[in-house]
Amino acid sequence: MIVVNYLAAAAVFCLGLYAVLTRRNIIKMVMGLSLMEASTYLFVVSVAYRARSTAPVLLNPQDGKTPAELAKGDVADPVLQNFCLTAIVIGVALTAVFLAVAVRVAQHYRTLDADKVRAMRG
Amino acid sequence: MARAGVSGVDGRGPEPPEAHPAHRPVVGAVLVAGAAAVLAAAFVAIPREDVPLPAIARQALTASLPRWHLTEPVNAVVYGMRGFDTFGETFLLIAAVVSVVVLTRTREPRRGYIGEEAAAKEEREQIDPSAAPDATQREARSAERVERGEDRPDTPDAVPLGTPAPEDAEGMTVVVRTAMRVVAPVLAVCGVYLVTWGYAPGGGFPAGAVMLGVILLLYAGFGYRRIGLVVRPAPLEVIELVGAAAIVLLMLLGLLLAGSFTANWLPLAPPQTIRSGGTAQVFSVGELVEVGAGLTIAVFALLGIRHDWASDEDEGGTQQ
Repeated sequence: MIVVNYLAAAAVFCLGLYAVLTRRNIIKMVMGLSLMEASTYLFVVSVAYRARSTAPVLLNPQDGKTPAELAKGDVADPVLQNFCLTAIVIGVALTAVFLAVAVRVAQHYRTLDADKVRAMRG
Repeated sequence: MARAGVSGVDGRGPEPPEAHPAHRPVVGAVLVAGAAAVLAAAFVAIPREDVPLPAIARQALTASLPRWHLTEPVNAVVYGMRGFDTFGETFLLIAAVVSVVVLTRTREPRRGYIGEEAAAKEEREQIDPSAAPDATQREARSAERVERGEDRPDTPDAVPLGTPAPEDAEGMTVVVRTAMRVVAPVLAVCGVYLVTWGYAPGGGFPAGAVMLGVILLLYAGFGYRRIGLVVRPAPLEVIELVGAAAIVLLMLLGLLLAGSFTANWLPLAPPQTIRSGGTAQVFSVGELVEVGAGLTIAVFALLGIRHDWASDEDEGGTQQ
């Protein structure tokens, strides 16, 4: 029933998207973006899952199996786990950039309301 | 949030009409419902947990031990087979850290004469230096004194509630601080363990995050002023760039010695030893330095934003 995980990832993504679209508080928009990021982690790790599988670790494979036998299907997908690892680091770094912008906006405009930050208009 | 939401509605008079937010929940809900429908349709149709592993995953699993002597295929993929991808990610991280550093840069010590004195001569002559400071200047100066902590009582407990810049409470209680002194070295060793025993799950990215966690734990316990003396941006920036340079060098040596960028050029030690993995293991250590230093710089750059140049008075005035 891994499809429940997929749908949960979709739900978290939509929650984040709704926050980004409807909230004008910059911190809440960053939180919405973080939710969207987190949903991709859940999705990618769920896609990597295989029924009755173990973690993709070749340390002491059970029953004297070789790595080639393990690869036939009893482990999770290591490539997708790599994608998730990459996505987490990039997500953290981008959140830091967004928050730095938010702090500077708050200092410059004295508000976190994105509607009031419109000095560049026109 | 409540304040921001209310001010958007209240400011209807002077605000341009676009500020009216009534349509937003409706438009947002429609768009999100559309996105949800597309995602749900796609996610129900994609392969599930009972399909065989894709060819690329089987390739990664079978090549991990013979080609990299790593019993941990995820590390073999991150630092070996998809090393170029991780290489690119490293520089994406550096770009993000540089953005944070540029955005949060505070005043730096003067490095040379740039001629403000001569440039401002005309304006200076128009102002009477003996005139008393007006209300704006008095307010700005008192705000600066507050920020510098000159008007503060000696102990945090004597500071009245609602005082701006709540950086007075220097640290947590002695119990918490002692516990942190005990725990921090253990956690730091765990981080190093994650990266050195690279044939087991771990690697440079989680280890770098653990290192950041140790520093944040100490920050929470001891306060910014004490940790800020140790965690200074200048040496950290050098450490980060040394990590990045080491990674570039490692990859370039692969190009020179083994014929392709990111290729392994170190002799492979037997599996399940610290040096198994060849360049993948060195890459992992480089990422520890890079990620640990980079994230620490980014977080402390955010924590270190203190001086605030805009005055409170022009609230609303900046919108025009």
